[in-house]
Order: sequence, then C-alpha cells, then structure tokens
Amino acid sequence: MNRRRSAYTAIKYAAAVTLLLISIFPYLYMVLQSLAPWDQVNKVFIPSRLTLRSYIWLFTGTEALVAKPWLRAFLNSVIVSVSSTTLMVLSAAIIGYALAKLPFRGRPLVYNFILFQMFYPAVILLIPTFLLVKAFGWFNTYWAMIVPKAMSVWAIFMYTSFFKSVPQEIIDSARVDGASEWRIIFGIMIPLSRSITIIVALFLFMARWEELLWDLVVVQDTSMRTLNVLLATIQSSYNPYPGPLYAAATILTLPILIAFLAFSRHFSQGIRLVLGK
Amino acid sequence: MEVRGWILTSPYLLYSLVFFAIPLAWSLWLVFTNWNLISTRVDFVGLDNFARAFRSARVHAAFISAYRIMGFFLPMVLVQSLGVALLINSLPWGRAFFSVGFFMPYLASGVAVALVVRGILAYNSPAAPIFKALFGTIPNWFGHPVLAIFIISLLIAWKFSGYYALIFLAGLQSIPKELYEAAELDGARFPTKLFRITLPMLYPAFYTVLIMAVGLCFAIFTEPFMLTGGGPGRATHTWYLEIYYQVFQNLRAGYGAAISFINAAITFASVLIVRRLMQRWGRALGYE
Repeated sequence: MNRRRSAYTAIKYAAAVTLLLISIFPYLYMVLQSLAPWDQVNKVFIPSRLTLRSYIWLFTGTEALVAKPWLRAFLNSVIVSVSSTTLMVLSAAIIGYALAKLPFRGRPLVYNFILFQMFYPAVILLIPTFLLVKAFGWFNTYWAMIVPKAMSVWAIFMYTSFFKSVPQEIIDSARVDGASEWRIIFGIMIPLSRSITIIVALFLFMARWEELLWDLVVVQDTSMRTLNVLLATIQSSYNPYPGPLYAAATILTLPILIAFLAFSRHFSQGIRLVLGK
Repeated sequence: MEVRGWILTSPYLLYSLVFFAIPLAWSLWLVFTNWNLISTRVDFVGLDNFARAFRSARVHAAFISAYRIMGFFLPMVLVQSLGVALLINSLPWGRAFFSVGFFMPYLASGVAVALVVRGILAYNSPAAPIFKALFGTIPNWFGHPVLAIFIISLLIAWKFSGYYALIFLAGLQSIPKELYEAAELDGARFPTKLFRITLPMLYPAFYTVLIMAVGLCFAIFTEPFMLTGGGPGRATHTWYLEIYYQVFQNLRAGYGAAISFINAAITFASVLIVRRLMQRWGRALGYE
C-alpha cells in the first residue's frame, strides 16, 4: 500500500514537472534561439554552441543599414514603465489611505465611483483619450504614455481594502505623537503593506511594460517607441535577422520574469490579496 | 478630516475629470458624427454610424470570431487551469514552487510569445518534422480559418491558465478536509469525490474564472495583430482589431467610437448571460 502510494506520488511529480516544462517551453525556445549561432536560428531546438552575437548585433555593430533603435527603445520602456508605475503606486497608496482611514463626507461617493470605473468598459475611452492626448500636443511624447496611465483604479481599490484592515489605534497613536498624514502614509502604512505594495507594483509594472495598443497609437516616431511596440512593428523588416529578434524578445521578457521570481516569497501572500481571497 | 480627505483624494478627482469624464462626454458626441480625425468639418450624422456598423461584414466577422474564440478558449483554459490546480493541490510539497512556475506564462508579453510561436510554426522550423510525423503533413497553421482560431485560442489559454489555476487552487484549499474523509468512509472513489465534492465546492472559483474568461474574448488584440492580421479571410478578425483598423488606419473616429460602444454592449450582455447561467447552477448547488 505504502509502496503504491509513493509510486503514485512520483508519477504526480513527473506529471507536474513535464507540464511545467511544456508551459515554459516558449521561454526556453526563445532564450536558446537568442543565443544560437545565426546559421542555426529557427533550425534546431538546441544549438550546438552558444553565442552572444545576436545581443551584440542588437546594440552595436555595423551590420545594419540604419541606426539601430533597440537601445533607445529599451530606455523608452524603462522611462515610461518606471515613472508610470511609481505614480500609480504612490497615488494609489495616498488615495487608498484617505478612502480607508479618513472619514469625510464624500467618501462613499468617491469609493463607489472607483468601483464603477473598475468595471467600466475601457474600450469606449480609447479613442477620445487618444484625441485628448493629441489635443494636449502630447503625440509622440513620453507624456502621452505616462500621464494617462499615472493612476490605476485597481491599485486604489487594492490599497483601500488592505488599509481597512490596519488597526485604527496605530494611526490614532501616531496622530497623538504629532505625525502628519504624510508621515502616517509613508512611515507607517506603506511599510506595513510590503507584500501588497510589491505585488501591486509588479502587476502594474508588467501591464505597463507590455502595453501594446495604447503605446502603438500615441507614438509614431521609431525613436519614441517602447521595446514592446518596436518589436511588434519591426518584425517584417527584420526577416533576415531572426536571431536578434529573439534576443530583443528575451530582453523584453526576462526583466519581468526575474522581478516576479525575485519577489516570489511575497507571491503566495500577495496573490491572495489580488485574487480577493 | 473633512478637508484632508478631499485634499488627499483630489489627484484622483482631477484625473477622473480629465481622463474619464471628458473622454466619456467626448465619445458620446463622437458616435453621432462622421469626424475623420483630419478634416475641420464635422457632420452630425445621427445613428448612421451604428446603422453602418450593424450592416458591416467586418463587424459581423468580429462578432462571430469572439464567440468562435470563446468556443475553443473556454474548454481549453478550464481543463488546463483546473487540471493544474488539482495536480498542484495533490502534491505533498513544492506547491508554492509549482504555483509560481505555472504562473510564468501570464508574465509573457504577447509580442514576444507571438514571435516564438511564429518561429515554431514556420514551415521550416525545428518543430516541422514533428508535425509532419504527427499529421502526415506540415499544417499551414495560419492559412486555415479553424487552425488559426485554434492557435490564437491556445495562446490565450496558455497565458491565462496559470492565473486561473491560482484562483482554483485557492478554492480547493478552502474545501474542508472532513468532506473527503466522510466520503471516503462511505467508500467514495476519485471520480465521485471530484464530481460530488470538488467541482460543486469550486463554484465560486468557476464563477470568477468564467466571467473573467468570457469578458476577455471580446478584448483580444495582440495575438491576432501579431500573427494573423485578422485572417485568413476574417476568421480571426476581433473587435479590437476592427476598432484599431477603423480609427487608427482609416481615421474614422466617429465610426470607430460607435463600434467600441457596440463592443462594450455585447460584452456586457454576454457576461450577463454567463452570470445568469452560473447563478442558476449556483442555486442548484445551494449557493445563494
């Protein structure tokens, strides 16, 4: 009986590992192809030797006919995603604190409006927001990619629910000690909510980093494109260079994977909050 | 408190005014005009945009493709995510490791995945001999309407199955062990336990997952944009592709805005139907 049970367990682990390998296979394929010698790209699953040629070609070299936009695109992605995420997290923490811990008369109204916006079909706003951004003269600028995505109702909602569970006594005693609202938010509330801050920031950063439609329509200059948009729009002209495309895809994907894996300690706790359990 | 509350929420109020209220009002005006983004002349055309959208073969294609994708995507993603959740939940150790592992596909940019998929499915890819051995021929994946929808649906299912698996996993972990122990005393085997205890107890998770998954089918852009351009024919022409095409290629802002309203209404109606069906199932199970 015991023997049968342990054989059964071994089968389950074998199945889990196999399934896991299948589900991360696209990542493995992408990384291996990005490191393959150019005569082997898209021709074999596992290259006979590994080389960084595709990466080096992407950022330097004289093989290209035109100046290569990849480094700039990567920087664009970093600038846009970091500023956007920072603004979304900070504003959500401040507003979430007000909605959870400051009783003011309009609070239920504001809170209900946030819920309404969360379930409102965003597609309706796509076109007029684009027109608005154009009217501001922000077409082809970072502003267009940062400002409309400087606030997230989802993040506000997450912080509000989490801050509600923080005992009121902590805040009251800080107030007695003369702490300002500012101090309470940044000295007490945010340090108390490390897991939720990490998971919210990761999700927001990922969504921002991988945004396609919005960044595609508000920017036309190649030099202003984010890495994701550049990779999406340049593929046909890079047909002779599949290796560098895989390298760019790897550079696009790995930061997100590494960030999630680095914080995976917070993952199981944080994801519960995200899933509302 | 009163003043502080308003001050601290004022960034949100300002943001909502500029990026919610104004665009909303603007779109309500746009749908009744024929504005083309360039001309200074704007005509009020009443309900023409809607009438034209309802007659358009492109819009019909988007309408149908959403349900076709749903037909493939829902069973795929339910089987995958539920299977993964049941498997992870039955492991004595390493659950956290496998949860994170299976969540990884959710982190991929659709653009990068599309690149990989195109490489793997190419006619001369290293996978081609495997397909040839399996099917006797190398399928023209994006040249056949059903295959193209299948691949797009599979990609989306791959991306979301780890995410939905976490929802199912949380549901599984909240089922009281005593239920299984009592069933085992009565001699219940795995299928009985699965269909009589596990699946009914997972009802709240099913509810969440199905509503998310159904809504998703009306908002697909990256995969067909990267892989098929909506083809072959218009088999994978989605709502978002049509909106993108009308507004940002054809510059027909008013018409595009009208299509986005229709898209929102159809999404809402479809999610509502699924909710009703789920609630009926829930009542049958004794949930209220």
